[in-house]
Amino acid sequence: MIREFGKYLFYFVVLILAQLLIFNNIEFSGYVNPYVYVLFILLLPFTTPRIVLLISAFALGLIIDLFMGTPGVHSSATVLMAFSRSSVMALFSPREGYQSGTYPRLAEFGLEWFVKYTVMLVLIHHFALFYLEVFSFHHFFSTLFRAFLSSVLTSLIIIFSQYFVFRK
Amino acid sequence: MRNLLRFIIQHHFLILFLVIEFFSLFLLISTNSYQKVQFYNASHKLTGGISNRMENIGDYFSLHYENRELAEENTRLYNRLKSSYSLALADSVLPGDTAARRKYNYLNTRVINNTVNKQYNYITLDKGKNTGIGPDMAVINNDGIVGIVKSVSDNYASVLSLLNRNFTVSAKIKKNGYFGPLSWNGNNTGYATLVDIPHHVEIAEGDTIVTSGFGGVFPEGFLIGTIGSFRLKGGNYYEIRVKLSNDFRKLNHVQVIYHLEKTEIDSLENVAAQ
Repeated sequence: MIREFGKYLFYFVVLILAQLLIFNNIEFSGYVNPYVYVLFILLLPFTTPRIVLLISAFALGLIIDLFMGTPGVHSSATVLMAFSRSSVMALFSPREGYQSGTYPRLAEFGLEWFVKYTVMLVLIHHFALFYLEVFSFHHFFSTLFRAFLSSVLTSLIIIFSQYFVFRK
Repeated sequence: MRNLLRFIIQHHFLILFLVIEFFSLFLLISTNSYQKVQFYNASHKLTGGISNRMENIGDYFSLHYENRELAEENTRLYNRLKSSYSLALADSVLPGDTAARRKYNYLNTRVINNTVNKQYNYITLDKGKNTGIGPDMAVINNDGIVGIVKSVSDNYASVLSLLNRNFTVSAKIKKNGYFGPLSWNGNNTGYATLVDIPHHVEIAEGDTIVTSGFGGVFPEGFLIGTIGSFRLKGGNYYEIRVKLSNDFRKLNHVQVIYHLEKTEIDSLENVAAQ
Protein backbone atom coordinates (compact mmCIF):
# COMPACT_ATOMS: atom_id res chain seq x y z
CA MET A 1 0.00 0.00 0.00
CA ILE A 2 2.71 2.43 1.06
CA ARG A 3 4.85 1.30 -1.87
CA GLU A 4 1.95 1.90 -4.25
CA PHE A 5 1.45 5.35 -2.78
CA GLY A 6 5.15 6.12 -3.16
CA LYS A 7 5.12 4.97 -6.76
CA TYR A 8 2.20 7.19 -7.70
CA LEU A 9 3.67 10.15 -5.81
CA PHE A 10 6.79 9.62 -7.92
CA TYR A 11 4.71 9.60 -11.14
CA PHE A 12 2.96 12.76 -9.92
CA VAL A 13 6.21 14.67 -9.39
CA VAL A 14 7.92 13.36 -12.53
CA LEU A 15 4.94 14.18 -14.77
CA ILE A 16 4.68 17.72 -13.40
CA LEU A 17 8.42 18.26 -13.93
CA ALA A 18 8.24 16.75 -17.42
CA GLN A 19 5.32 19.03 -18.27
CA LEU A 20 7.00 22.18 -16.99
CA LEU A 21 10.51 21.50 -18.24
CA ILE A 22 9.94 19.65 -21.49
CA PHE A 23 6.40 19.68 -22.86
CA ASN A 24 5.72 23.36 -22.17
CA ASN A 25 8.60 24.13 -24.49
CA ILE A 26 7.13 22.13 -27.35
CA GLU A 27 4.86 24.08 -29.62
CA PHE A 28 4.36 24.39 -33.33
CA SER A 29 3.63 28.01 -34.20
CA GLY A 30 1.45 28.41 -31.12
CA TYR A 31 -1.15 25.93 -32.31
CA VAL A 32 -0.17 22.67 -30.75
CA ASN A 33 0.72 22.31 -27.07
CA PRO A 34 0.82 18.84 -25.53
CA TYR A 35 -0.37 18.60 -21.91
CA VAL A 36 1.05 15.22 -21.04
CA TYR A 37 0.67 15.58 -17.25
CA VAL A 38 -2.89 14.18 -17.55
CA LEU A 39 -1.24 10.77 -17.95
CA PHE A 40 -1.23 10.68 -14.14
CA ILE A 41 -5.04 10.48 -14.04
CA LEU A 42 -4.99 7.78 -16.71
CA LEU A 43 -2.50 5.65 -14.75
CA LEU A 44 -4.25 5.61 -11.35
CA PRO A 45 -5.45 2.08 -10.51
CA PHE A 46 -9.06 0.99 -10.96
CA THR A 47 -9.47 0.65 -7.21
CA THR A 48 -8.56 4.29 -6.46
CA PRO A 49 -11.29 5.77 -4.24
CA ARG A 50 -13.14 8.30 -6.34
CA ILE A 51 -12.64 11.04 -3.78
CA VAL A 52 -8.87 10.50 -3.92
CA LEU A 53 -9.12 10.63 -7.71
CA LEU A 54 -10.86 14.03 -7.66
CA ILE A 55 -8.60 15.52 -5.01
CA SER A 56 -5.40 14.37 -6.68
CA ALA A 57 -6.69 15.72 -10.02
CA PHE A 58 -7.37 19.06 -8.37
CA ALA A 59 -3.91 19.11 -6.76
CA LEU A 60 -2.30 18.24 -10.10
CA GLY A 61 -4.20 20.95 -11.97
CA LEU A 62 -3.59 23.53 -9.29
CA ILE A 63 0.18 22.95 -9.27
CA ILE A 64 0.31 23.29 -13.05
CA ASP A 65 -1.82 26.46 -12.72
CA LEU A 66 0.53 27.92 -10.14
CA PHE A 67 3.53 27.47 -12.39
CA MET A 68 1.82 28.67 -15.54
CA GLY A 69 -0.01 31.60 -13.93
CA THR A 70 -3.46 30.56 -15.12
CA PRO A 71 -5.73 30.47 -12.04
CA GLY A 72 -8.32 27.69 -12.31
CA VAL A 73 -7.88 26.77 -15.98
CA HIS A 74 -5.91 23.54 -15.60
CA SER A 75 -7.49 22.56 -12.30
CA SER A 76 -11.06 22.72 -13.61
CA ALA A 77 -10.18 20.82 -16.81
CA THR A 78 -8.30 18.13 -14.88
CA VAL A 79 -11.08 17.71 -12.30
CA LEU A 80 -13.64 17.37 -15.10
CA MET A 81 -11.47 14.72 -16.71
CA ALA A 82 -11.09 12.78 -13.44
CA PHE A 83 -14.85 12.96 -12.94
CA SER A 84 -15.52 11.49 -16.38
CA ARG A 85 -12.94 8.72 -15.97
CA SER A 86 -15.30 6.14 -14.44
CA SER A 87 -17.94 6.75 -17.14
CA VAL A 88 -15.34 6.42 -19.91
CA MET A 89 -14.09 3.20 -18.35
CA ALA A 90 -17.65 1.84 -18.19
CA LEU A 91 -18.19 2.86 -21.81
CA PHE A 92 -15.16 0.93 -23.07
CA SER A 93 -15.25 -1.93 -20.56
CA PRO A 94 -14.11 -5.29 -21.99
CA ARG A 95 -16.70 -8.08 -22.21
CA GLU A 96 -15.60 -9.76 -19.00
CA GLY A 97 -15.32 -6.44 -17.13
CA TYR A 98 -12.24 -5.18 -15.32
CA GLN A 99 -10.67 -7.99 -13.27
CA SER A 100 -9.41 -7.18 -9.81
CA GLY A 101 -5.64 -6.89 -9.62
CA THR A 102 -5.35 -5.34 -13.08
CA TYR A 103 -4.22 -1.80 -13.87
CA PRO A 104 -5.28 0.52 -16.70
CA ARG A 105 -2.18 -0.15 -18.79
CA LEU A 106 -1.60 -0.81 -22.44
CA ALA A 107 0.24 -4.01 -21.59
CA GLU A 108 -2.82 -5.45 -19.83
CA PHE A 109 -5.74 -4.38 -21.98
CA GLY A 110 -4.21 -4.06 -25.42
CA LEU A 111 -3.64 -1.18 -27.81
CA GLU A 112 -7.23 -0.72 -28.96
CA TRP A 113 -8.66 -0.34 -25.47
CA PHE A 114 -5.84 1.94 -24.35
CA VAL A 115 -6.13 4.21 -27.40
CA LYS A 116 -9.90 4.60 -26.93
CA TYR A 117 -9.51 5.26 -23.21
CA THR A 118 -6.68 7.78 -23.68
CA VAL A 119 -8.12 9.67 -26.64
CA MET A 120 -11.55 10.04 -25.04
CA LEU A 121 -10.23 11.44 -21.76
CA VAL A 122 -7.58 13.62 -23.42
CA LEU A 123 -10.25 15.10 -25.71
CA ILE A 124 -12.45 15.93 -22.69
CA HIS A 125 -9.52 17.55 -20.90
CA HIS A 126 -8.16 19.52 -23.86
CA PHE A 127 -11.51 20.85 -25.07
CA ALA A 128 -12.37 22.04 -21.56
CA LEU A 129 -8.88 23.50 -21.18
CA PHE A 130 -8.65 25.39 -24.45
CA TYR A 131 -12.14 26.89 -24.20
CA LEU A 132 -11.60 27.87 -20.56
CA GLU A 133 -8.28 29.46 -21.49
CA VAL A 134 -9.77 31.61 -24.23
CA PHE A 135 -12.95 32.00 -22.17
CA SER A 136 -15.16 33.02 -25.07
CA PHE A 137 -16.70 31.44 -28.13
CA HIS A 138 -15.41 34.33 -30.17
CA HIS A 139 -12.69 32.36 -31.95
CA PHE A 140 -14.73 29.17 -31.84
CA PHE A 141 -13.23 27.33 -34.80
CA SER A 142 -9.61 28.31 -34.29
CA THR A 143 -9.88 27.11 -30.67
CA LEU A 144 -11.54 23.89 -31.82
CA PHE A 145 -8.70 23.32 -34.25
CA ARG A 146 -6.03 24.00 -31.63
CA ALA A 147 -7.72 21.73 -29.07
CA PHE A 148 -8.05 18.95 -31.62
CA LEU A 149 -4.42 19.09 -32.85
CA SER A 150 -3.09 19.27 -29.30
CA SER A 151 -5.24 16.30 -28.26
CA VAL A 152 -3.78 14.28 -31.11
CA LEU A 153 -0.23 15.15 -30.09
CA THR A 154 -0.82 14.51 -26.37
CA SER A 155 -2.47 11.16 -27.10
CA LEU A 156 0.40 10.13 -29.36
CA ILE A 157 3.00 11.02 -26.72
CA ILE A 158 1.05 9.16 -24.02
CA ILE A 159 0.64 6.04 -26.15
CA PHE A 160 4.30 6.00 -27.15
CA SER A 161 5.30 6.52 -23.52
CA GLN A 162 3.49 3.27 -22.72
CA TYR A 163 5.84 1.42 -25.04
CA PHE A 164 9.04 3.01 -23.81
CA VAL A 165 8.59 4.07 -20.20
CA PHE A 166 5.80 2.06 -18.60
CA ARG A 167 6.75 -1.23 -20.24
CA LYS A 168 6.30 -4.18 -17.92
CA MET B 1 -32.79 16.02 7.92
CA ARG B 2 -32.05 12.31 7.72
CA ASN B 3 -33.14 12.27 4.11
CA LEU B 4 -30.84 15.16 3.35
CA LEU B 5 -27.92 13.35 4.99
CA ARG B 6 -28.72 10.18 3.06
CA PHE B 7 -28.86 12.19 -0.15
CA ILE B 8 -25.49 13.75 0.57
CA ILE B 9 -23.94 10.37 1.39
CA GLN B 10 -25.41 8.76 -1.71
CA HIS B 11 -24.21 11.46 -4.04
CA HIS B 12 -21.03 12.45 -2.23
CA PHE B 13 -18.91 11.92 -5.34
CA LEU B 14 -21.03 14.16 -7.55
CA ILE B 15 -21.29 16.79 -4.83
CA LEU B 16 -17.55 16.80 -4.22
CA PHE B 17 -16.97 17.08 -7.96
CA LEU B 18 -19.31 20.06 -8.22
CA VAL B 19 -17.70 21.76 -5.22
CA ILE B 20 -14.14 21.40 -6.57
CA GLU B 21 -15.17 22.31 -10.11
CA PHE B 22 -17.01 25.42 -9.00
CA PHE B 23 -14.08 26.40 -6.84
CA SER B 24 -11.75 26.07 -9.86
CA LEU B 25 -14.14 28.02 -12.06
CA PHE B 26 -14.41 30.65 -9.36
CA LEU B 27 -10.62 30.99 -9.44
CA LEU B 28 -10.82 31.38 -13.19
CA ILE B 29 -13.73 33.77 -13.38
CA SER B 30 -12.60 36.18 -10.70
CA THR B 31 -10.59 37.97 -13.36
CA ASN B 32 -10.89 41.11 -11.35
CA SER B 33 -7.45 42.61 -11.76
CA TYR B 34 -6.92 42.95 -8.02
CA GLN B 35 -7.44 39.23 -7.45
CA LYS B 36 -5.32 38.38 -10.47
CA VAL B 37 -2.44 40.38 -9.02
CA GLN B 38 -2.98 38.68 -5.66
CA PHE B 39 -2.89 35.29 -7.35
CA TYR B 40 0.31 36.16 -9.20
CA ASN B 41 1.95 37.43 -6.04
CA ALA B 42 0.90 34.36 -4.05
CA SER B 43 2.02 31.98 -6.77
CA HIS B 44 5.31 33.86 -7.19
CA LYS B 45 5.99 33.44 -3.50
CA LEU B 46 5.39 29.71 -3.85
CA THR B 47 6.92 29.03 -7.22
CA GLY B 48 9.31 31.96 -7.69
CA GLY B 49 12.19 30.15 -6.00
CA ILE B 50 11.67 26.96 -7.98
CA SER B 51 11.18 28.84 -11.25
CA ASN B 52 14.39 30.69 -10.48
CA ARG B 53 16.28 27.46 -10.04
CA MET B 54 14.83 25.90 -13.19
CA GLU B 55 15.77 29.03 -15.10
CA ASN B 56 19.29 28.80 -13.71
CA ILE B 57 19.61 25.32 -15.16
CA GLY B 58 18.04 26.46 -18.41
CA ASP B 59 20.59 29.29 -18.61
CA TYR B 60 23.41 26.86 -19.25
CA PHE B 61 21.79 25.67 -22.44
CA SER B 62 21.65 29.14 -23.92
CA LEU B 63 25.14 30.24 -22.80
CA HIS B 64 26.53 30.05 -26.29
CA TYR B 65 23.76 32.19 -27.70
CA GLU B 66 23.93 34.67 -24.81
CA ASN B 67 27.68 35.04 -25.20
CA ARG B 68 27.30 35.96 -28.82
CA GLU B 69 24.58 38.43 -27.94
CA LEU B 70 26.78 40.03 -25.27
CA ALA B 71 29.68 40.29 -27.65
CA GLU B 72 27.49 42.03 -30.19
CA GLU B 73 26.15 44.34 -27.50
CA ASN B 74 29.73 45.15 -26.48
CA THR B 75 30.57 46.10 -30.02
CA ARG B 76 27.60 48.37 -30.19
CA LEU B 77 28.53 50.06 -26.89
CA TYR B 78 32.13 50.50 -27.97
CA ASN B 79 30.81 52.25 -31.03
CA ARG B 80 28.99 54.71 -28.82
CA LEU B 81 31.98 55.57 -26.67
CA LYS B 82 33.17 59.13 -26.78
CA SER B 83 36.32 58.01 -28.52
CA SER B 84 34.20 56.59 -31.33
CA TYR B 85 32.84 60.00 -32.23
CA SER B 86 34.43 62.76 -34.13
CA LEU B 87 35.60 65.61 -31.97
CA ALA B 88 32.80 68.02 -32.85
CA LEU B 89 30.05 65.58 -31.92
CA ALA B 90 31.76 64.41 -28.76
CA ASP B 91 31.98 67.97 -27.56
CA SER B 92 28.36 68.75 -28.23
CA VAL B 93 26.80 66.06 -26.03
CA LEU B 94 28.56 64.31 -23.18
CA PRO B 95 27.14 61.46 -21.17
CA GLY B 96 26.03 62.93 -17.85
CA ASP B 97 25.89 66.43 -19.24
CA THR B 98 23.21 68.34 -17.32
CA ALA B 99 22.33 70.39 -20.37
CA ALA B 100 21.23 67.24 -22.14
CA ARG B 101 18.25 66.01 -20.14
CA ARG B 102 18.16 62.30 -19.47
CA LYS B 103 14.76 61.01 -20.48
CA TYR B 104 15.04 57.23 -20.16
CA ASN B 105 16.77 54.91 -17.77
CA TYR B 106 17.42 51.23 -18.45
CA LEU B 107 17.46 48.39 -15.96
CA ASN B 108 18.76 44.96 -16.90
CA THR B 109 16.58 42.09 -15.59
CA ARG B 110 16.26 38.39 -16.20
CA VAL B 111 13.24 36.44 -17.37
CA ILE B 112 12.40 33.68 -14.88
CA ASN B 113 9.13 32.53 -16.38
CA ASN B 114 7.83 32.91 -19.90
CA THR B 115 5.13 31.29 -21.98
CA VAL B 116 4.46 31.55 -25.70
CA ASN B 117 1.90 28.81 -26.18
CA LYS B 118 -1.16 30.47 -24.72
CA GLN B 119 -3.49 33.13 -26.02
CA TYR B 120 -2.69 35.43 -23.11
CA ASN B 121 1.01 35.07 -22.44
CA TYR B 122 2.81 36.66 -19.53
CA ILE B 123 6.50 36.98 -18.67
CA THR B 124 7.87 37.09 -15.13
CA LEU B 125 10.99 39.16 -14.35
CA ASP B 126 13.28 38.69 -11.37
CA LYS B 127 13.13 42.32 -10.24
CA GLY B 128 10.17 44.22 -8.87
CA LYS B 129 8.97 47.17 -6.84
CA ASN B 130 12.17 47.22 -4.78
CA THR B 131 14.21 48.28 -7.81
CA GLY B 132 11.63 50.83 -8.89
CA ILE B 133 9.77 48.86 -11.54
CA GLY B 134 6.13 49.87 -11.80
CA PRO B 135 3.15 49.16 -14.03
CA ASP B 136 3.13 50.48 -17.63
CA MET B 137 6.90 50.45 -18.09
CA ALA B 138 8.21 49.20 -21.41
CA VAL B 139 10.30 46.03 -21.66
CA ILE B 140 12.74 45.45 -24.53
CA ASN B 141 15.79 43.40 -25.35
CA ASN B 142 18.53 43.70 -27.96
CA ASP B 143 16.28 42.27 -30.66
CA GLY B 144 13.24 44.45 -30.17
CA ILE B 145 10.27 45.10 -27.94
CA VAL B 146 9.10 42.45 -25.49
CA GLY B 147 6.09 43.73 -23.54
CA ILE B 148 4.67 46.06 -20.92
CA VAL B 149 4.91 45.62 -17.15
CA LYS B 150 1.46 44.78 -15.85
CA SER B 151 1.82 44.23 -12.13
CA VAL B 152 4.67 44.14 -9.65
CA SER B 153 5.33 42.53 -6.30
CA ASP B 154 8.32 43.36 -4.11
CA ASN B 155 10.82 41.24 -6.01
CA TYR B 156 9.08 40.16 -9.18
CA ALA B 157 7.28 41.81 -12.06
CA SER B 158 4.66 40.34 -14.34
CA VAL B 159 4.90 41.54 -17.95
CA LEU B 160 2.15 41.50 -20.54
CA SER B 161 3.99 39.85 -23.43
CA LEU B 162 3.63 41.10 -27.00
CA LEU B 163 2.26 37.59 -27.55
CA ASN B 164 -0.91 38.41 -25.60
CA ARG B 165 -4.20 39.25 -27.21
CA ASN B 166 -4.62 42.22 -24.86
CA PHE B 167 -1.35 43.78 -26.01
CA THR B 168 -1.42 46.75 -28.38
CA VAL B 169 1.37 49.15 -29.28
CA SER B 170 1.46 52.08 -31.65
CA ALA B 171 3.87 51.16 -34.45
CA LYS B 172 5.10 53.04 -37.49
CA ILE B 173 6.78 52.28 -40.76
CA LYS B 174 10.29 53.55 -40.32
CA LYS B 175 10.87 54.93 -43.80
CA ASN B 176 7.76 57.14 -44.05
CA GLY B 177 6.39 57.47 -40.52
CA TYR B 178 2.82 56.24 -41.10
CA PHE B 179 1.59 54.66 -37.90
CA GLY B 180 -1.14 52.34 -36.63
CA PRO B 181 -1.91 49.89 -33.83
CA LEU B 182 0.00 46.61 -33.78
CA SER B 183 -1.27 43.53 -31.98
CA TRP B 184 -0.92 39.76 -31.93
CA ASN B 185 -3.62 37.58 -33.45
CA GLY B 186 -2.95 34.53 -31.32
CA ASN B 187 -1.87 32.18 -34.09
CA ASN B 188 1.81 32.34 -34.85
CA THR B 189 4.48 33.34 -32.34
CA GLY B 190 6.60 34.81 -35.15
CA TYR B 191 4.11 37.34 -36.51
CA ALA B 192 1.95 40.28 -35.39
CA THR B 193 -0.58 42.37 -37.28
CA LEU B 194 -0.37 46.10 -38.05
CA VAL B 195 -3.54 47.79 -39.29
CA ASP B 196 -4.84 51.26 -40.24
CA ILE B 197 -2.09 52.09 -42.77
CA PRO B 198 -3.84 54.00 -45.61
CA HIS B 199 -3.71 52.40 -49.05
CA HIS B 200 -1.78 55.18 -50.75
CA VAL B 201 1.28 54.61 -48.58
CA GLU B 202 4.09 52.89 -50.43
CA ILE B 203 5.21 49.78 -48.58
CA ALA B 204 7.23 46.74 -49.52
CA GLU B 205 8.09 43.44 -47.97
CA GLY B 206 11.07 43.78 -45.66
CA ASP B 207 10.35 47.36 -44.59
CA THR B 208 11.26 48.00 -40.97
CA ILE B 209 8.52 48.53 -38.38
CA VAL B 210 9.46 50.44 -35.21
CA THR B 211 7.60 51.86 -32.21
CA SER B 212 6.07 55.26 -32.86
CA GLY B 213 6.52 56.59 -29.34
CA PHE B 214 2.84 57.51 -29.08
CA GLY B 215 0.98 56.18 -26.08
CA GLY B 216 3.89 57.06 -23.87
CA VAL B 217 4.99 53.55 -22.94
CA PHE B 218 7.64 52.72 -25.53
CA PRO B 219 10.19 55.32 -26.59
CA GLU B 220 10.24 56.09 -30.28
CA GLY B 221 12.22 54.02 -32.73
CA PHE B 222 12.56 50.61 -31.08
CA LEU B 223 12.56 47.72 -33.51
CA ILE B 224 9.45 45.54 -33.71
CA GLY B 225 10.05 43.64 -36.92
CA THR B 226 9.82 43.74 -40.68
CA ILE B 227 6.92 43.54 -43.09
CA GLY B 228 6.30 39.92 -44.00
CA SER B 229 3.27 40.37 -46.23
CA PHE B 230 0.38 42.80 -46.61
CA ARG B 231 -3.05 43.04 -48.17
CA LEU B 232 -5.76 45.64 -48.59
CA LYS B 233 -8.60 45.26 -46.15
CA GLY B 234 -11.90 46.87 -47.04
CA GLY B 235 -10.22 48.74 -49.91
CA ASN B 236 -8.83 51.64 -47.90
CA TYR B 237 -6.42 50.28 -45.33
CA TYR B 238 -3.59 47.80 -45.38
CA GLU B 239 -3.47 44.88 -43.01
CA ILE B 240 0.22 44.18 -42.60
CA ARG B 241 1.67 40.93 -41.30
CA VAL B 242 4.77 41.92 -39.36
CA LYS B 243 7.54 39.39 -38.91
CA LEU B 244 8.70 39.92 -35.33
CA SER B 245 12.41 40.50 -34.87
CA ASN B 246 12.31 38.93 -31.41
CA ASP B 247 12.21 35.20 -30.82
CA PHE B 248 9.99 35.01 -27.76
CA ARG B 249 11.00 31.42 -27.07
CA LYS B 250 14.54 32.53 -26.31
CA LEU B 251 14.01 35.53 -24.02
CA ASN B 252 16.55 35.69 -21.24
CA HIS B 253 18.00 39.10 -20.45
CA VAL B 254 15.61 42.00 -20.98
CA GLN B 255 15.72 45.71 -20.20
CA VAL B 256 13.00 47.60 -18.38
CA ILE B 257 12.73 51.22 -19.48
CA TYR B 258 11.93 53.92 -16.94
CA HIS B 259 10.34 56.88 -18.65
CA LEU B 260 11.47 59.67 -16.37
CA GLU B 261 9.04 62.26 -17.70
CA LYS B 262 5.93 60.10 -18.05
CA THR B 263 4.10 61.63 -15.09
CA GLU B 264 4.76 65.10 -16.46
CA ILE B 265 3.35 64.15 -19.88
CA ASP B 266 0.35 62.39 -18.36
CA SER B 267 -0.59 65.28 -16.11
CA LEU B 268 -0.23 67.74 -18.99
CA GLU B 269 -2.47 65.61 -21.18
CA ASN B 270 -5.02 65.27 -18.37
CA VAL B 271 -5.16 69.03 -17.93
CA ALA B 272 -5.58 69.51 -21.67
CA ALA B 273 -8.37 66.95 -21.83
CA GLN B 274 -10.44 68.68 -19.17
